[in-house]
Amino acid sequence: MPKKAILCVDDEEIILNSLRDQLQTRLGDRYIYEFAESAGEAMEVIEDLASEGTDILIIVSDWLMPDMKGDEFLIRIHRKFPGIVKVMLTGHADESAIRRVQEQADLHRCIFKPWTEEELIGTIISGLKKNE
Amino acid sequence: MKLNIMVVDDIHANLRLLSDILGAGDYTVRPVPDGNLALTAARSVPPDLILLDIMMPGMDGYEVCRYLKADARTADIPVIFVSAKDETIDKVRAFSAGGVDYITKPFQAEEVLARVRTHLSIRKLQHHLEEKNRELADALDQLKAAQHQIIHQEKMAALGQLVAGIAHEINTPLGAIRASAENISHATESSFDQIPKIFQKLSQQHQDDFFLFLREAVRNNPPLSSRETRNLRRVLKEELESRGIASAELLAGILANMGFGGDISRFVSLLKEKENTFIMQTAYTLFMQKSNSDNIVKAVERASKTVFALKSYVHYDPSGKMIRAKLSEGIDVVLTLYHNQLKKGIEVIAEYEDVPDILCYPDELNQVWTNLIHNAVYAMNGSGKLKIGISQDNDFAAVAISDSGSGIIPEIQEHIFDPFFTTKPAGEGSGLGLDIVRKIIERHRGRITVESRTGETTFKVFLPKQIVAESQTI
Ligand SMILES: Nc1ncnc2c1ncn2[C@@H]1O[C@H](COP(=O)(O)OP(=O)(O)O)[C@@H](O)[C@H]1O
Repeated sequence: MPKKAILCVDDEEIILNSLRDQLQTRLGDRYIYEFAESAGEAMEVIEDLASEGTDILIIVSDWLMPDMKGDEFLIRIHRKFPGIVKVMLTGHADESAIRRVQEQADLHRCIFKPWTEEELIGTIISGLKKNE
Repeated sequence: MKLNIMVVDDIHANLRLLSDILGAGDYTVRPVPDGNLALTAARSVPPDLILLDIMMPGMDGYEVCRYLKADARTADIPVIFVSAKDETIDKVRAFSAGGVDYITKPFQAEEVLARVRTHLSIRKLQHHLEEKNRELADALDQLKAAQHQIIHQEKMAALGQLVAGIAHEINTPLGAIRASAENISHATESSFDQIPKIFQKLSQQHQDDFFLFLREAVRNNPPLSSRETRNLRRVLKEELESRGIASAELLAGILANMGFGGDISRFVSLLKEKENTFIMQTAYTLFMQKSNSDNIVKAVERASKTVFALKSYVHYDPSGKMIRAKLSEGIDVVLTLYHNQLKKGIEVIAEYEDVPDILCYPDELNQVWTNLIHNAVYAMNGSGKLKIGISQDNDFAAVAISDSGSGIIPEIQEHIFDPFFTTKPAGEGSGLGLDIVRKIIERHRGRITVESRTGETTFKVFLPKQIVAESQTI
């Protein structure tokens, strides 16, 4: 059975730290969780996982990041991997950026920081269902 | 309206004579026979001019004049002394008492009228001048108020641009705090179930190993980046596999998430237990309670740093006095607030030499740094190098802000400090930024220079290390 992964992209260490345990606690060992601090690193991870034969089911990405903004990143991902479910998790994003991801990257949902566990896990579960 | 002249003389014949002369000159004349009456009358209805006899019984003319000058209601009325034929006028006393002129008898009607006319017109001019001065002072006040308003609006606009970034800056730690708190709460509950089983399942030796391992795991391991964590996981997986430990991949994942970089060999026996994944999961649940608390502390520090920067940014000293402050502190405050816009792709290179604290208006200097950094970020269109240097230059502290942006073409360099000069599209620039920057620097008795070519624009601000405090506000 091929392994399935959830990838989180955020340039803030404190966010990745808390997400890692949140996902692990709530979703357990069913998935692999990967983390990247920038869009560039996320691209590498995606290539790596693809070459290992691991499917990425969902990407949860911040919007404001150093090298590439979340909207651009998710749109690029969508062109290459339209099947991956895309979620934005952000402290601030302008409306037009969100609209762009909705239109051009089939954004599943945008969640705002500070998020609640139910919101995030609920969004991920509904996203996974969409993928089945 | 006829001008009003008071004539003061104790001798009726003199009063009549002067009244006749002045009446013919088309003035309203108020004859008064003694000094006391003159003072009362002048205070209740101030005349335009007073002709004052010197030798009078009771209060003499000098004294009357001194009283007139001492009273705000009558101080401005010009007084011309009149001396009798047989007395010699003491000119020094007359002028020092406040008189503007004197007439000695015998006099000609024309002379009296000429002098009266002269002094009345001087008085009129003086009035006019005072009024103009008042108008000018009012206009100046209004200008100052308008300027304050504009400066305030600029400051608020700069702040507005920051607010969006600040929302992110505050919501990020809040998100981390909430998630970590929820993690701790779940972990605590899970521990209640897991811990008793650990005691049941493990031998005394392995229980000791277990806690030794935990202690090592929570010992402050340096935080790892996501990439380092992945590498560690790979290394650990190979090591565990080579030692013949089951579920190597899962265990390696847990160990890597703990950032466990220590020596595994001591724990091989524990890791070979049949329920090794349960054991490591239990260890991780305990570990999480510590690591998530640490995460919360970090997040709180982040948030308070932002709040502190915001507070310092709008720091305002109502006394309006200059205070001693570190230049680097103000710059760092602005950099903290700009963190979000900078991190998108701008490398900040700060080189601060030690310069003494300088007397300044810190919140105004913050506005200078904000405007210069804002312009630099704009010119680099979000990516490039922003260099900020503080150094000493003889009697000055120099702050240099350079960007690797588009540069300023020579044709417009001399205009960039002009109010309302902007090359930004409508709605983006007011053209007041650099005008305000220069005004603030001049208020600090400093100066600003600019050097620019494509790829390197440097604004350099020189502020005197010893400044003479100036109380005036712009
Ligand atoms: N670092 C810079 N690089 C390039 N051009 C600059 C820089 N700083 C200022 N300028 C130019 O100077 C003009 C005036 O700046 P300023 O007075 O701050 O007003 P505004 O920013 O509202 O346009 C800008 O429109 C821009 O053309």
